[in-house]
Amino acid sequence: MSNLDEYRPPETYITEWPDSATYDAAIIGAGPNGLITAAYLARAGLKVCVLERRYEIGGGLATEEILFPGHYSNPHAIYHMMVDYMPPLKDLGLDKHGLMFIQPNAQTAGVFSDGTSLLLCRMLEDTKDSIAKFSEKDSATFGRVMRTWRRIVEELVAPATYLPPVAPIDLIEAMERTETGQALLDVTEQSPVEVITDLFEHPKVQMLLLYATCMWGLDPEETGLGFMIPLLVDRTMNKAMCYGGSHRLAAALAREVVQNGGSVLDTAEVTKVRLADGHVVGIEMEDGRTIDAGVVLSSLDPHSTFLDLVGEEHLDTNLAQSVRNWEWEKWSFCTTHAVLGSKPHYAVDDPWVDEAFMTVVGFDDPDSLLSYWSGVRSGHLGDRVGGHATCETLYDPTLSKVPGHEVAFLQIHAPFDLDGGGWDARSAEVEGLILEQWRRAVPDLDVVMTHTETPLDIVRRLPNMRRGSIKHGDYNPLQMGTFRPNEECSSSRTPIEGLYVCGASTYPGGLIIGGPGYIAANAVADDMGLDKWWSTPDYIARYQAAYMEEPASA
Amino acid sequence: MDSRYDFVIVGGGHNGMTLAAYLSKSGYSVCVLESRLEIGGAQENAEPRPGFRIDPHASVLYGGAAPGFEQLELHKYGFRMSYWGQYGLAVTSDNRAFVGGNRWTFAEAAETLRPFSEKDADLWGSMMGFIFPHLKDILRSTFWTPPFPPELEVEQTDLPWVKTWTEASGGALPGNFFDASLVDVCDELFETGALKAVTGLGAWYSGAAPTWDGMAAQAFGSFLLASYGSGAPKGGMHTYAHAIARCALAHGARVLVNCPVEEIIVRDGRAAGVILADDASAAGKTIWADKAVVSAVDVQQTFQRLVGPRHVDASFLQKIKDISLKGGSLYVLHVVCKELPRYVGQAQELVEQVGYPGSVLYPCDDWDSVVAQMRDAYSRKTTPTGRASMTLPVLMPTTYDRSRAPDGYHVLSPIYIEVPPPEYHVGGPEAVNRQKEQITAEMLEMLRALAPNMTDSNIVDVYVNTPLDSEFRNAGLVGGNWYATRHCEDQWWTQRPLPELSRYRTPIDNLYLCNQTSFPGGLCLMAVPYNLMHILIDDGLVEPADWWYPSPWHITDAGTRIGAN
Repeated sequence: MSNLDEYRPPETYITEWPDSATYDAAIIGAGPNGLITAAYLARAGLKVCVLERRYEIGGGLATEEILFPGHYSNPHAIYHMMVDYMPPLKDLGLDKHGLMFIQPNAQTAGVFSDGTSLLLCRMLEDTKDSIAKFSEKDSATFGRVMRTWRRIVEELVAPATYLPPVAPIDLIEAMERTETGQALLDVTEQSPVEVITDLFEHPKVQMLLLYATCMWGLDPEETGLGFMIPLLVDRTMNKAMCYGGSHRLAAALAREVVQNGGSVLDTAEVTKVRLADGHVVGIEMEDGRTIDAGVVLSSLDPHSTFLDLVGEEHLDTNLAQSVRNWEWEKWSFCTTHAVLGSKPHYAVDDPWVDEAFMTVVGFDDPDSLLSYWSGVRSGHLGDRVGGHATCETLYDPTLSKVPGHEVAFLQIHAPFDLDGGGWDARSAEVEGLILEQWRRAVPDLDVVMTHTETPLDIVRRLPNMRRGSIKHGDYNPLQMGTFRPNEECSSSRTPIEGLYVCGASTYPGGLIIGGPGYIAANAVADDMGLDKWWSTPDYIARYQAAYMEEPASA
Repeated sequence: MDSRYDFVIVGGGHNGMTLAAYLSKSGYSVCVLESRLEIGGAQENAEPRPGFRIDPHASVLYGGAAPGFEQLELHKYGFRMSYWGQYGLAVTSDNRAFVGGNRWTFAEAAETLRPFSEKDADLWGSMMGFIFPHLKDILRSTFWTPPFPPELEVEQTDLPWVKTWTEASGGALPGNFFDASLVDVCDELFETGALKAVTGLGAWYSGAAPTWDGMAAQAFGSFLLASYGSGAPKGGMHTYAHAIARCALAHGARVLVNCPVEEIIVRDGRAAGVILADDASAAGKTIWADKAVVSAVDVQQTFQRLVGPRHVDASFLQKIKDISLKGGSLYVLHVVCKELPRYVGQAQELVEQVGYPGSVLYPCDDWDSVVAQMRDAYSRKTTPTGRASMTLPVLMPTTYDRSRAPDGYHVLSPIYIEVPPPEYHVGGPEAVNRQKEQITAEMLEMLRALAPNMTDSNIVDVYVNTPLDSEFRNAGLVGGNWYATRHCEDQWWTQRPLPELSRYRTPIDNLYLCNQTSFPGGLCLMAVPYNLMHILIDDGLVEPADWWYPSPWHITDAGTRIGAN
């Protein structure tokens, strides 16, 4: 036998990812936008590395076993509202990775305390039938308005989502050229409450449309973002669910990155964007590992990108000031996820409501909704809450691995700073309020297990959704369009050479629309003279021809 | 979508994905079909509470000696480690402790045994002294070599692990080492009850019960697997799955999740492709395999469900049905807490001296309690007894990987005990689930006996997966068994899972097996696919480039030995 003292163990047992590596571009954050940018650039021949802090990629595209064991939920994105338009889905051919969306007809239901209900469907005539239960006039108006609004979305708002922002003055000039453009300008200067109460007469119709318009953070009373109303109403009837969970979209994008020679690194928190002579030279990770790259794209929020990673000493005063003034969102969300012993059955007049993708509960008219939201904005939840519920296994049975179990949630708008002791003290109490409201609508709700994610939990899972800001920053006129995140950076280029921004805080915004990532990929490709292997979708090309190019001189 | 590939692999767990990486790197078109939402099988993590990452199944890197790390170059796809300082703190019921081992110097670990026994400390030190320089060979000869052709006449001295153990020890092994159980061997070698218990429990939790006859070398090898670069992949086991998957993807493999396979298509006795289930997330539901279909799901589901009785005879199906699932059905606890366990007595003094270990075994006193626990798990009792003496392995990932919990918090995950598999429980498959509250409370009580600070105010959350839960969430873990069929001599080497299947071939031409029900069984070793590669190469289906090297102990069907020592 040999003597143990003479034995010297090997320096390393297993070769690991190197301490330093060189790439053409490093992308910080493997959320939807970071991955979209990476996938386009990788296929364009760039050597890209995507770095993700979490152990799993996807950011808001998360599908997690929070109802452990055996049930999978989407704690963040679930309603995919732009799958009809998002260029990456077709350009990258993501269906070859098994990516599939379900877009049911029964889209958004409202259930009311008197046992009536309203159902917004993908098919316009189905929606009109439901509205007619309350008001023939509203039904007719809805049909007429939606014909215009659908054109607005198709011709203007959807294409603009995938092109760099245009200064307001130029935009107005372009819109004035067409009837559709003029119709959009007409709604733009009105608040959501004005638009909806002017058009519709029945309080229940008003409430549900107002909910759909403002649920993602538009201020109901504020003017200036009215151009989003047609989009949000149209999209609430065109939501899609990612089969197998929203994480599938992230996984499909990551497969594209890797199959085109790129790298995806998880459990890799970036702590620094390295600069030399004012130019980006790479990044550094929490464990000291580095990546050298002449191009760095950040999909994080402005505070993380500019103050934490770049450092204020490298910013000019304007940029630093605008980052510090960035406003987080006016409200966050609190969600009670539940395993149910049976599919929820709503006690209302129309059995079709049970099939709705989203069901709004707790509000009968705009006033009750507005007063709830106003409480939320001041940190307050009353003794009655309201929100929207979805039974995910209704369309995607694969999310429950336990026979007979359904997976569902009820989500409410909720303040980040909750009065009366804060979230950790009150989360059980709020869960009680949520379940109470759910049971009012579904009297025989068969709850097997629950898990409530508070706004604090949102930050704990995804720290750059600061203060529970799922879109990385408020939707208000000073933070949209060319102002998102500020005039210097809204095109995705920044004053720091080689640094680009591509997350939800960059034009056009969040909610898994893919705009920031797509626009950033185009910007980098243009700046680096890459061969763009993708072509502009027809609907975008038509918009460019009609609105973006100088009209032929008269 | 493409519907024709060279290879179709059913099951995207650790073994299926590793094979996909091997085959795609060899230049073949490969399609992997996984029924779950995510690849990786038991190589997974979950975040049931935001910011806290638990290990529902695999938790420790056992496969450090795998040729796959070099051959597949997993470092290029992000593989990183979090090494343990000390691994395996053994604590007795009277709160004395020693360190089972250490990544860099076993000498230090052996010294911690000295207060228990001068003789054992010297022996443990010298054993590790001869084992460690040969550890890679010992492990590779035991796990990373295909079983010999079952019909071959073989002397015991010709067996690969017999050769490497004998060479390493210089003939110092006990005479009965290759025929005995680990219990016998430890009884002959050691005088400290706790050292015997640590060795036996270490082997047991690594898939080899120390009471199994003829398995002492393999059981001790299982114990040693975790010593080769001991620790866990940085971020948890699922990042290891990511590295493997990204290797496969980078070489062009198609990896489809949410695609349960309904049937393996057999035509003229040959596997030709698969049919997907109706709810599969794919447009084309029939996928053809030009070269082979590889089943990376367990052998019972493969033949009972996917191939079906139409294509195999009744006597074969009976043998498939009789494969034993006993052993490895774990009742798993995950604890979220504010403070790490603070032990008492000499155990706490030792931790303060050498630092926190990656795992703790408590209590490990002697054989009697270990054997009693095995009897509880394997015999046909209505209710397992002996809770008072059950031993908890407690993994403490936050002591070596801070990414697993927010600052100021820790996770203890997994903490487990073995219980009867649902199929064999006299009380029926639901019996253990009905005892959930009671068993969890008893385990927490044991945890408090180890570390009194594990009080209700310290513990923030507790998650549990019973064997039945594990089977539901992960269909590959039949009976919640982590190692599939048990690793006893009846089901090992040329007997695993059956002699006629031991070389990964099946009665169906062009259908191969690549699951832990084949040799060398469970744990994330990348060994089943490595071993299967030899057979695919022998069968002329695969021709890898010069990055491939075979096991020096491999014997082809013609009896020719491949490679050289």
